[in-house]
Amino acid sequence: MNRMIPANLPAHVLLQAMAANFNFRPRYRKYLKSTTGWIDFSVGFRTRASTIAQTIRFRGGRAAVRPRVLRDADAVIVFEDDAAFMDMLSHSSEEVMTMMLRNRIRVQGNHLCVLLFYFLMSLLIEELEGNGISLNGGKTARNGNKPGNAFSLPDRPSLRRKAVLTTGRTGPGVKYLEDPYLSGYSIEDFPRLGRFLAAHFNTMPEVCPERAKLLTDWHIRHGFEKKRSGEPWIPELRQAHAFKYLMENKQPIIRDEDLIAGTTTSMPIGAVMYPDSQGMFIWPELRTMSTREMNPCRISKHTAKVLHHHVFPFWMRRNIKLWVGEKYDNPLCEQIGDHLVAYILSKSVALSHTIADFPKLLALGTRGIRDEIERELASEDIDKQKRYTLEAMELCLEGVDAYALNLAAHARKLADQEQNPARKTELERLAQICARVPMNPPETLDEAVNAIWIGWVALHMENTNVGLSLGRMDQWLQPFFDADMQKCETPEQRDECIKHAIRLVSCFFLRCTDHIPLSPDVGKHVVGGAPANQAVTLGGVTPDGRDAVNDMTYIFLKVTEMLAIRDPNVNARYHPGVNTDTYLKRLCEVNLVTTASPSMHNDTAVMTSLEEFDYPVEEARDWSSTGCVEPTISGKHIGHTGCMMMNMVAALEMALNNGLHPLMNWQVGPKTGRVDNGAFPAFEDFFNAFKTQFEFLIANAVQYNNYLGEAHSVMRPTPLLSSLISDCIANGKDLTKGGARHNSSGIACIGLADVTDSMLAIKKFVYDDRFITFAELKDAVDSNFKKHAMLHAMIMNKAPRFGSGSQEALDMANRITKITHDAFASHRNFRGGIYTTGFWSMSNHVAFGTLTGALPSGRLAGSPFTPGLTPQACSASSLLDNIHDVARLDPRNMSNNIAFNIKVVPAAGESHEKSVNDIFSYVKTYFDLGGMQIQLNVVNTETLRDAMAHPENYQNLLVRISGYNAYFTTLTKELQLELIHRAEFGI
Amino acid sequence: MSGEPLIFEIKRNSLDDGPGIRTVIFFKGCPLSCPWCQNPEGRRPRVDISFDRKKCIGCKTCIKVCKKSALDRHPQYFIEREKCDLCFECADNCPTGALARVGRHIPVQEIVDSVVRDIPFFNTSGGGVTLSGGEATLFMPYASSLLQALKLNGVSALLETCGHFDFDAFDELMYPWLDAIYYDLKILDPEWHRKICGVPNDRILANFERLHARALKGGVPVLPRIPLVPRLTAVKPNLRALAAYLKKHRVKKLSLLPYNPLWQDKMIMVGMPGAYEQAGWMPERDIKLCRSFFKRFELV
Repeated sequence: MNRMIPANLPAHVLLQAMAANFNFRPRYRKYLKSTTGWIDFSVGFRTRASTIAQTIRFRGGRAAVRPRVLRDADAVIVFEDDAAFMDMLSHSSEEVMTMMLRNRIRVQGNHLCVLLFYFLMSLLIEELEGNGISLNGGKTARNGNKPGNAFSLPDRPSLRRKAVLTTGRTGPGVKYLEDPYLSGYSIEDFPRLGRFLAAHFNTMPEVCPERAKLLTDWHIRHGFEKKRSGEPWIPELRQAHAFKYLMENKQPIIRDEDLIAGTTTSMPIGAVMYPDSQGMFIWPELRTMSTREMNPCRISKHTAKVLHHHVFPFWMRRNIKLWVGEKYDNPLCEQIGDHLVAYILSKSVALSHTIADFPKLLALGTRGIRDEIERELASEDIDKQKRYTLEAMELCLEGVDAYALNLAAHARKLADQEQNPARKTELERLAQICARVPMNPPETLDEAVNAIWIGWVALHMENTNVGLSLGRMDQWLQPFFDADMQKCETPEQRDECIKHAIRLVSCFFLRCTDHIPLSPDVGKHVVGGAPANQAVTLGGVTPDGRDAVNDMTYIFLKVTEMLAIRDPNVNARYHPGVNTDTYLKRLCEVNLVTTASPSMHNDTAVMTSLEEFDYPVEEARDWSSTGCVEPTISGKHIGHTGCMMMNMVAALEMALNNGLHPLMNWQVGPKTGRVDNGAFPAFEDFFNAFKTQFEFLIANAVQYNNYLGEAHSVMRPTPLLSSLISDCIANGKDLTKGGARHNSSGIACIGLADVTDSMLAIKKFVYDDRFITFAELKDAVDSNFKKHAMLHAMIMNKAPRFGSGSQEALDMANRITKITHDAFASHRNFRGGIYTTGFWSMSNHVAFGTLTGALPSGRLAGSPFTPGLTPQACSASSLLDNIHDVARLDPRNMSNNIAFNIKVVPAAGESHEKSVNDIFSYVKTYFDLGGMQIQLNVVNTETLRDAMAHPENYQNLLVRISGYNAYFTTLTKELQLELIHRAEFGI
Repeated sequence: MSGEPLIFEIKRNSLDDGPGIRTVIFFKGCPLSCPWCQNPEGRRPRVDISFDRKKCIGCKTCIKVCKKSALDRHPQYFIEREKCDLCFECADNCPTGALARVGRHIPVQEIVDSVVRDIPFFNTSGGGVTLSGGEATLFMPYASSLLQALKLNGVSALLETCGHFDFDAFDELMYPWLDAIYYDLKILDPEWHRKICGVPNDRILANFERLHARALKGGVPVLPRIPLVPRLTAVKPNLRALAAYLKKHRVKKLSLLPYNPLWQDKMIMVGMPGAYEQAGWMPERDIKLCRSFFKRFELV
């Protein structure tokens, strides 16, 4: 029995007080009710030393407190110590999240029940703090992206320069554009785009419950695990029926003036709710998220009610992550993952980081795809599971068609009401289009763009909006542009046709901004300011190896330049020797104008990195970027390229501490030897210890990812996406089960430069020069170099560094990428595919950095790691060494691509042409030398600092973090400073 | 000049010393003594020691290792140069590089090795190597072998010069391997030139005229450059005279170099007292005024 020792007593009393409030005060008790009955759950509390042990249990609308941790508690919150418990009570939900990141609080069991507990607690705290119970508090948000702020078009000369270069017709694929740079057009030529852009910047996103509510309605009626009849559901069919219901009942919306019909959400800009993946993380914030400091998101009272009483209670025991915890009894790999400092797996959110087969949708229409399914169904040797799977795909496609027809009817209705004849014509056209596509193959550009958009909406109703990507749109749309141009007879008609193509693509880009990922406040650290990352890929080569740059490539680049928005995430392929300098120069110019887009890739290096997978060459040539930068074979490949953020530095810290991770304060890894015990007579001994720890973490991360993959096959098959990925139909297998032609899982490894430089410093000072002992170095590191200023200065100035042009440093970096690659490559995922290894970081170089102590590289405790695999800012005085070293990393170890950031600043008064030429020289040489990917920020530190001080003037300041674009003002201070501290190279 | 030629910096990734991306080789030693010299550490043709207060963390390692007690943290220059015997113990032991050796003899091959790494950047940008200083023509035999080695590697070379050299030697040793010459013209009045820059300018002008005459006939292009130094070169009579002189010699293109004050910290680092006081950057208004004297030329 538990003794009531002092720290335990206040805990008991506080929980009793909470229970009493919920038992006796109706204003609180009503929160225990769901649309299907009382919400029953229990949460235990204990400290690591068991000085606290309590459970609060809610059952049948009554709360009770037990002075021990009940064995059947849904979840147990483990506190580092008594103080952590007291802090939790007084902290905001955001601060509690930070406590979790700092490993002062951990959750065992059903984390969703803990979120519910926090929400209930937040109700009481609000009253204690005298805020009353209102849905919106009085705090105002810090960031500038809120309604009411006047926004003018992005024409401030300091921020946006006008593109001025022109060029003659160029490249074999460009058939119509006399000046492919399209320098004659600007946003002023397209008034409606200016209005859309203003709406994009001035509308606060709002939580959209539509998808969640419709799905929950359907499941309450028809069951999830079992049907009403008691018969277990076939997961594929369950998902398909629910999806079809969703699509049939989803509100058809056409935005004023838009040329594209349909929306992902019923809000002007919506945060789509996916309770079946990460959506429920906002539970504790239901009442506060509209006033949170960073990236506030409006939520109506009605939405909060629907979510709390209807949606969340249904899903609180149905979740990808929970499934793993229950089936595998909270395995070690999950426990490590829950600490959020060694690896973060996004498979609990979605595995739809991929490129759907839009060419197929355009070529066959849903009708043609259904015919294909019918033929499979008609074959003789078909087994039951295959039949179910194929039927599920058909149901989903029917759902898509139903939505398109609803849009057509809605367009017709709007057209009938419309007074303005020009708009009336447009609406009538939209009605025609939606009645035809995507059911039938499109014939014109406006039909093709609308078909893709309707498909895109549908895919997002099935799959979470993180990193689902659009692929090679310039390739896929060129035939339709071509067909439209062929019909033109006069030069005026041709001009109008080109202008209309720019307008359509712009509308499409702005349509893509109608949704954002729903993120809890803590998300600002992990995916700071990230949009849905809908990657578009341009240029490169055709499947038969010819120059793929065409008219539409340049039209997409014009749109990228004019709009300068963060999403879609534009990626451009450059194939040395095939693509022209004119094209590469244009990519550089668009970067200069937008300050951060597109990201540029070297086709040759990317394809070299893919060689080990034996993709047929014409398929490898058809790769597209996914999410951030990662290559996926378009339409044929489930590569879940963003499945894992792996902190390489965690393994280094464990090697320095004999398997103990300092922040987790846990002897989690194997004992590889103590630094202060002379366990490492030679440098190689220490390197091997690092390798052992890293392989240990990798093996666990992979196992967890595989468990989550299995959970998807049960909880969340995706029949619609499966119908749009090659071979799922022929195999009769959902893609979550490995139905796709190619399968893999892709990793983002974070901290390469930090680990490399640390290894080099250890090698030089401890082993080569014998300047200090390893124990002394570790002492200095453990004390954050306090009292070791001279050693710190030596390391900062005299140690070899990756990016400095040192051959030794380059060899070390190549060696570390190779052991990383080989360790991952030795594993297989749940779908039978390989693991690919990449070196980019989203914003986790900052998140992981804040959780990490000082390093032998001289990096101080809590500072960010470098973004992606970018060398340290102090590594070289000349940009050329950075470029040289990154370019000479072996692409074969980087099959999930890289993010190499450079910040360049044109000198004041420099001509536009010279700036473009200078950037071109760097980028071209980097590619000539074999570099794989490069992304630019063309902005100076003063501008960034001014934007921190006056965010209201810089709403549209676009920056590239690591792989993705964000608006600078939506980033955390830590992330903003990281951008400021990046090396700045004048040009 | 006696002794081996010294190089005080090899600067890569320069975008301001000729076309494209360039590597600039800075020679140590100059026959002129212009008081605004942008690279004062390059004036003396011998080894120097420099101290950068911004980099110093005050660890006193240098003071401990100095055998001549020539270091003291308090005075402006840190190093008592009359005591210092340039043994460089302090620089070798300085953890931050605040103390550093200025000037090193570098074998031609070593320079070439560091240059060729960047050939891919030269090729995409139309860049190459620039010989600067100091004054490279003080060391013609060495410069000549460097230029020839660069040529062998297909690297284009540009010379920045003050023009105060022996024409025949230049013609034999350097001219054949140059792709362009940036030729500084500072002051046209011979007396004023001697007073300010320490040498007369007759040779400078004569050399310029011969090189420019050749350039007009298809020889190595020569670009005259005029540093705009308030009160010294950027004065009306001088600018007017220079414009007339250049026009007389049928010069079409030239470059104006507005004054910048970045050299002053360097003076202190190498322990040289400043002889010219002008703290700020040249205002745009003054630059415009200077430009107005050269309306008939293409300014690059």
